[in-house]
Amino acid sequence: MNDSKPDSLLPLPTAVFHILIALADRDRHGYSIMQDVAARTGGKVQLSAGTLYSSIRRMLDQGLIEELAESPDPSSTDERRRYYRLTRFGKRVAAAEVERLNTLVQQARATGLVPGA
Amino acid sequence: MMRAEAVYKALLHCYPAPFRHEYGNQMLLVFAEQLGEARRTGGRLEQAALWVYAALDTLTIAPKEHWHVILQDVRYALRTMKASPSFTAVAILSLALGIGANTAIFSLWNGVLHSSLPAVHKPEQLMMLSNPDDTGMWTGRWDGRTDGPRSWLTYGEFEQLRDHAGGFSALMASQSSLITWQVRFEGGAWEEARGRLVSGEYFQVLGVSPAIGRTFTTADDRADAPYAVISYDYWQRRFGGSSEVLGKTVTIRAAALTVIGVGPSGFIGETSGQQPDLWLPLRTQPGVLPGKDWLHDTPPEKVMWLHVFGRLKPEVTPAQAEAQANAIFHAGLESFYGATASGERRREFLDQRLRILPGGRGASPVRNQFAHTLTALLAAVGVLLLIACANLANLLLARGAARKPEIALRLSLGASRGRLIRQLVTESLALAAMGGMAAIAVAYFLHGGLVRMIAESDPRFRMSFAPDPLVMAFTLAATLAAALLFGVFPAWQATKTGAGASLKEQSRGAIGSFRQMRTGRFLVSLQLALSLPLLVGAGLLARTVYNLQRADLGFPAERLLLVRVDLREALQDATRTDSLLRELLGQLQRIPGVRAASLSQLGVFSGGESSSSIEVEGYAPKGDHDRGSAVDVVGPGYFSTLGVPIRLGREILESDRREAPKVCVINEAFAKRFFDRRNPIGMRVASVDNDKRTAYQVVGVAKNARAQNLRGDVEPRFFVAAQQAPASAKSPTLLIRTASESAPVLAAVRKTIQRVDAALPILSAKSIEAQMAPLTAQDRTTAQLAVVFGCVALTLAAIGLYGVLAYGIARRRGEIAVRIALGARPGRVVSMILGETIGLVGAGLALGGGLAYAASHLIDSLLFGVAPQDPLTLVLATGLLLLVALSAAYLPARRASKLDPMVALRQE
Repeated sequence: MNDSKPDSLLPLPTAVFHILIALADRDRHGYSIMQDVAARTGGKVQLSAGTLYSSIRRMLDQGLIEELAESPDPSSTDERRRYYRLTRFGKRVAAAEVERLNTLVQQARATGLVPGA
Repeated sequence: MMRAEAVYKALLHCYPAPFRHEYGNQMLLVFAEQLGEARRTGGRLEQAALWVYAALDTLTIAPKEHWHVILQDVRYALRTMKASPSFTAVAILSLALGIGANTAIFSLWNGVLHSSLPAVHKPEQLMMLSNPDDTGMWTGRWDGRTDGPRSWLTYGEFEQLRDHAGGFSALMASQSSLITWQVRFEGGAWEEARGRLVSGEYFQVLGVSPAIGRTFTTADDRADAPYAVISYDYWQRRFGGSSEVLGKTVTIRAAALTVIGVGPSGFIGETSGQQPDLWLPLRTQPGVLPGKDWLHDTPPEKVMWLHVFGRLKPEVTPAQAEAQANAIFHAGLESFYGATASGERRREFLDQRLRILPGGRGASPVRNQFAHTLTALLAAVGVLLLIACANLANLLLARGAARKPEIALRLSLGASRGRLIRQLVTESLALAAMGGMAAIAVAYFLHGGLVRMIAESDPRFRMSFAPDPLVMAFTLAATLAAALLFGVFPAWQATKTGAGASLKEQSRGAIGSFRQMRTGRFLVSLQLALSLPLLVGAGLLARTVYNLQRADLGFPAERLLLVRVDLREALQDATRTDSLLRELLGQLQRIPGVRAASLSQLGVFSGGESSSSIEVEGYAPKGDHDRGSAVDVVGPGYFSTLGVPIRLGREILESDRREAPKVCVINEAFAKRFFDRRNPIGMRVASVDNDKRTAYQVVGVAKNARAQNLRGDVEPRFFVAAQQAPASAKSPTLLIRTASESAPVLAAVRKTIQRVDAALPILSAKSIEAQMAPLTAQDRTTAQLAVVFGCVALTLAAIGLYGVLAYGIARRRGEIAVRIALGARPGRVVSMILGETIGLVGAGLALGGGLAYAASHLIDSLLFGVAPQDPLTLVLATGLLLLVALSAAYLPARRASKLDPMVALRQE
C-alpha cells in the first residue's frame, strides 16, 4: 500500500506518535484515542479535535492508519463514529521511531549527558 | 448544548471544505463529548478552557489544512501541465508575451508620463515656475511670440524671485538642458561626462542629502565656488564608490573644480529621464561654458536658460504664490525693457508671465512628445493581452470538454463543484504565474528597445527598467486578471453538466454540447474583433513610415553629405571667415566625386530653427504675430547644391558679397503669404532686430522644400547670403552633393578641411540618410511594434479558430461520417464547415471594424499622409484576417472530408 520508506517520515510529530501508540492495542474512534492519550500521559497531553483530525488526515494519506468500513463494536449505538486501525506500515514506522529515540537515549548516556541505567 | 454545537459548527467553516466534509462531523462529536465531560466533572473554568483550545486550534490548524489543499492543487496542476506540454507551452508563451509587453510599456508609460522624481523628498509639494516640457536657451532677440507664459528664466530673474518671493519657503534654479562635457579628473584622461549647472539651494529644495561629503549651499551662489557634486551612479561607475573622490580636482573647459560630495542613490535630479553625472554651481558658467556671459543680461538681450523649482510655504496657495511671483517678475521686466523696447514690442515683452505648475514629475523634454505613442501602445498591448486570454479561455474550454468524463467521475464520487472549480482555477493561476515570471524577462528586453527608441529622438534620454512596487503590482494584477479571465469561465463550464449526463454523453460519443460550441465560437469572434483594430493600427503606422520615408522634400534626399564645422576661432575677423569659407567651398568642389558644395547656418534636419522679425514691402501685417518668418543664412549655390528648383529670378551667388547690395531668396510659402499675387522680385524684405533694421532685395523665389521638418506645412522662409548676414554663422553646415555613393567621399572631405585649416574643428559629419534617421525613429519603432503585436494577434486568432473548429469537428465525427456514407462529396463537407465558419468570422470582423473605427482617434496624431479611417488599410487588414481565418478553418474541414465513414462509425 505504501512504498515510501519508514525513515522518510521520521521524526514523527508528537501527536502522530501518540495516536500510533493509542491504536497499538486495539482499533479506536477519535474520542477514544483522545481519552487514551490523556490517560496514558496523566492528562499532560490533551489532543484537541483539530490537531487530532488534522493528524488523522495526514496519517491516512501516508498509510500509517486505515479507516474501518464498519464499527468493530457491535454494541456501539452511534453510527456516526469512525474507527481507525494501525496498518503494517504504521507499525514499521512506529518501530523505526522507537529505534531512533533509543539510539538518541543511548548516545546521551554514552556521552555522560545523563546517568546510565 | 445545541447552541454550543452551533457555535463550534460555525468555527469549522474556517477549515477548507474538503476537510470539513470529511471530518467536521467527527470533530463536532468529539468536541461535544469533551464539553459534556467538562460539564460533568469540572466547572465553568474547564469549559472555558475547552473553548479557548478550540479557538486556538482553528487559528493554527485551519491555515495548515488550507495550505495542504493549495499544495495538493498546485501539484495536480503541475501534473496536468506536464501531461499536455504543447498546450502548456502555448499558454505560457502567449501569457509571457502579453503580460511582458504590458509590463514594459506600462513601466515606461508610467516612468515618462506619470511617476514622480525618484529619491526626491515629498515630490508632490514641488512647484515649477518654468515650462516642464521645454529645454534649451533663448535670448529673446526675435519676436515670434514674446508674450504669454515663459519657458525659462534668466539668472537675474531667478535671483529676484529667490530673494523676494515670500510665498515660497525656498526656490532653486537648474539649467534646462543637459550638457555633455569633456572632463578630466586629476591623474586621469579626458573623458565624457554629462552634467548641468544648478543653484546653491538645488539639493535642499529637492530635499536630498549627500551620500558622502556635502552639497551646495546658498553661499555657493554668492561667491565663486569652484565645486562639483557627482551623482551616485557616476561615483559607483567611475570611482567604484571610493570616498577618495572627495577633494579631487576635475577640469572642465577653463575651470578647475573640486569634488565636494556625492548625491544620494537613485537621485537623478529635477529632469525625468536624464541621468547627469555631475552638478556644478551656476556661478561656474563663464568657466565651464565659456564664450558668453549667461549670468548677466545686457539690454536688449536676456539669456533665458533656467528651470525654477520651489516649495510653497504651508499657508500659501499656488494662486497666491503665482500672483506674488508675477508681481516681482513684471517689475523686473518693466525696469529691463522700459528703456530699450518701444510700442508694440514693449507691450509684448511686458505681457510675459510666469505660470506655477506642479513640479513633482519634474521637467521632461520627451514627455509631451511621447505621450501619445506610449498611450496608444499601452492600449494596443492591453488588447493583445485580452486576445491572449480569449485564446486561452478557448483552449481551456476545449480541454475542459475533453476532461468532462474525468470531472463527471469525480463529481459522482462526491467531490463538490466548488472544489473542482477551485482546482481548475488553480491550474489557470499556476499557468499565469509561470507566464508572469517569464513576462519579466520579456518586459526587460522590450523596455530596453523602447528606451532606445526614445533615445534616438533625444540622445540624453536614459531610463532603466526598474521593477518598482507599482510596476510589480501592475504585473501581478495583470497576471491575476488574466488567470481569472481565461480560467474561471471554462472551469465553470467544465463542471456545469450533471455527472450522469456527462458520463452518458461520453459513452454515446454523440454530437457535442451546443452551448460549449457556442461559447467557443463567441470567443473566437471576439478574438477576431479585437485583432482587427491592432492590424489596422499596424497598417496605418506602417504606411505612415512608408510615407515619411518617401515624403517629397522638394530636393533629392540622397548623395548629400552634411559636415558641421566650428568657426568660433575664425570668427574674430569677419573677412577672414569669408575667405576661409570661400577657400573651403572651392577646395571641396575640386574633390573627385563632388558635384557641388555650399553651406547653411541651419543645416538640413538639424533640429534647430532660426526666425526673424520682418517687415515686407507693401504688406500690412494682419496681427501682432504676422511679422515673423523663418530664416536661414546660406552660401552661394545653396539651392543648386541641395537641388531645390528656383521658380522665379535667381539663387544666392558668389557675387553676393559683403560689399554688394543685400539680397535674399524667398520660398513659395513666403511669396504666397506676404506677396500674394504680387511679383516679389525686386521687392524689399527687412529683418528687424529690435531697433536695428537690415533690408534685403528679393532676387529669387525657390520651390518649397522641407529642410527642417517632415510633418506640417512648409513655413514661409527667406534666405540671406552668408556674407551679407548681420552676424556670421558660428557653426555652419557644409552641404556637399556627390555624384554617386557619398560615404567614400567623406574621408576626402575631412582631409580637405584639415588641409585648408588644420585647427578647424569638425563637429559632425554624416550622410543625409543618417541625419534623417532620428526624425522617423519614433514612427519606425512604433510601426514595428504595432506590426509585431498585429502578427501575434493574428496568430492567436488563427490558433483559436483552428482549435474551436478542430474540436467541434472531432465531436461531430459521427454526423459527418453519416453524411459521407450517405453520399456527400468531400468538397461539400468542406464547404459546409467553411460556411458555418463564415458566420462567426463575419460577426467578428463587423465588430472589429467598429472597434477599429472607434479607436482610430487614438493614433490620429501619429499618422502622416494617411487618414485614421483610411478605407484601403481597413480593407487590407480585413482581407488578411479573413484569409488567415479561412486557412485556419480549412485544415480541420479538409481533414473531416477525408473521414472514412466505416472507421469513424465503428469507433462510435
